[in-house]
Amino acid sequence: MSLNIDKHYNETENFWLIQLEGEIDIYTANKLKEVLTNIFVKNISDIKFDFSELTYLDSTGLGVLIWALKKIKKTQKSIIIKNAKPNILKLLKITALDKIFIVDSE
Amino acid sequence: MSDHLSMSVPNKPEYVNVIRLTASSIASRVGFDIEEIDDIKIAVAEACTNAIKHGIKNDQENFDVEFYMDCDKIMINIIDKGVGFSLDEIEEPDLINPKEGGLGIFIIKTLMDEVNISSDIGNGTCIKMIKYLGVDI
Repeated sequence: MSLNIDKHYNETENFWLIQLEGEIDIYTANKLKEVLTNIFVKNISDIKFDFSELTYLDSTGLGVLIWALKKIKKTQKSIIIKNAKPNILKLLKITALDKIFIVDSE
Repeated sequence: MSDHLSMSVPNKPEYVNVIRLTASSIASRVGFDIEEIDDIKIAVAEACTNAIKHGIKNDQENFDVEFYMDCDKIMINIIDKGVGFSLDEIEEPDLINPKEGGLGIFIIKTLMDEVNISSDIGNGTCIKMIKYLGVDI
């Protein structure tokens, strides 16, 4: 129904931790894009997404993730996805994005 | 014997999750399991997203979502009277060099068992999708 985004920069290990809660679809994907745009202005580092509270994702969200990766890849940074639920892991797998993002499913 | 449920939906992003909830509820009633229900939710949302993003240009118009329920399958049609497109424009996505768009139809075809898309420039688009109970991908 909605999307809450919590972001935090880890100064010790130099990465952004972004925790998502809710759903990313055509209605909420832009909110994520705005948050990422703002953090790129501050600092381009690795981004770790914590998907443990993310219940839904489709191609609108994947599009934002791909856009973000293109922005940070130029500086050799990566996107790491942690704690994705089974439905989201499946989507990453069928689109082969589990090979493009670092998907940490422990 | 099919049961049939239809919705006329405002052409606005905030309603896609309403359709997902309806699809989820109907799929559960037909007897799909959690994984299959998730597949159906994504496929339906992708089709609705296409209708809203690429189909209808006026947010005062509606598009239609039709559910047909059988004992062994669900059929869902998403019909818009928008601008339509040429079916030649559908490209297989390059999964090694992903782009930000273009994954919707590929995802629908991967998650559903049968998909039929008909569209004509100027005449809108109809995406039909069927999922059968108990078929593994």
